Amino acid sequence: MNKELEHSFVELLEKHQNIAHKICRLYTNNYDAHNDLFQEITVQLWKAYPKFRGDSKFSTWMYRVALNTAITLYRKSKRTIQTQDFEGVEFKIKAQDYDDTEEQQLKVLYQAVHQLNDIEKALVFLYLEDKNYKEISETLGISEVNARVKMNRIKTKLKTILNP
Amino acid sequence: MDGLELLKKDWNKQPEHKKLTVGEIYPMLHKKSSSIVKTLFYISVAELVFWILINTVPYFTSDSFRERLDTVYADDGTFTVLTVFGYAVILLFIFLLFKSYKSISVTDSAKQLMESILRTRKIVKYYVLYNLIVAGGSLLFGFYFAFTHNPELADQVAHFSREQTIMATAVVVISTVVFILIIWLFYRLIYGLLLKRLNRNYKELKKLDV
Repeated sequence: MNKELEHSFVELLEKHQNIAHKICRLYTNNYDAHNDLFQEITVQLWKAYPKFRGDSKFSTWMYRVALNTAITLYRKSKRTIQTQDFEGVEFKIKAQDYDDTEEQQLKVLYQAVHQLNDIEKALVFLYLEDKNYKEISETLGISEVNARVKMNRIKTKLKTILNP
Repeated sequence: MDGLELLKKDWNKQPEHKKLTVGEIYPMLHKKSSSIVKTLFYISVAELVFWILINTVPYFTSDSFRERLDTVYADDGTFTVLTVFGYAVILLFIFLLFKSYKSISVTDSAKQLMESILRTRKIVKYYVLYNLIVAGGSLLFGFYFAFTHNPELADQVAHFSREQTIMATAVVVISTVVFILIIWLFYRLIYGLLLKRLNRNYKELKKLDV
């Protein structure tokens, strides 16, 4: 592969790397596993990049490849399984927004999302990234109606967790 | 506020992971992939090679085996036909596997991607199944051939009582079945472990579309 292609790819990935980091955060629970998955996503993106025509935005294309890597291709290595867990899920609240109840609720919510299965996590991730149901259904390969139904179920599930 | 809406509000405020620089990303491109497709590919190549070796090594390493086989081939055209058929099957599997691997695309939808991988795995499964059937058949045929064409054995078998004949047949059949079962379980274990997560996620996606 030529240097120019490599250069353009690295620049795009550097710019959009947060998409992959968010996916890694959702699907792994420790630092090593996060880096391991990020590495695999990078390799998969790079391998697929020559076929990226630019018909869609790089970020849109990246969502699909990165999610596919996380839920289908990624093989957890032994090295990453037995390391320490993150202490809960961290999140940042600006001082002016600080709300003890809301903070607590968010903590519970992040933990609840971590407990969901791989497919539910993918749905939640795309939803949180503001993707519409058409995009969600195309990324996962299910019908739009079913994506909506499943999303509503997840919402209810999360609501129950918050207000038992 | 709805739980998910609350989460959405906070989602982009998450602390960013240490941002990688261009210089840090470059070396990552050339690291080896450890995806299940790659592992599946290595396993299928190993299987192809393994069964080809099983079928050819005795011919090249044992003079007596080669002599005996050459005599059989010279006497009976059926063996030549069977051998040609065997190699044709191997070529067909190589072609199907290659085609199937080419169809795996990480840019497909998650469901499509999983289906392509499972289809590839199915081809490998049929290849193994084919080889096990051939191996089982050959073993049984080999035993039969030895009992009927080896003068010493044939003589012993001729003096077998009814019970002894039943016993000998049972031992031959059971040992063949056990041999095949062990190999089959070994494959199930390898693929079971490798594709456990993929199968679970595929089932989940299919359940959504029912």
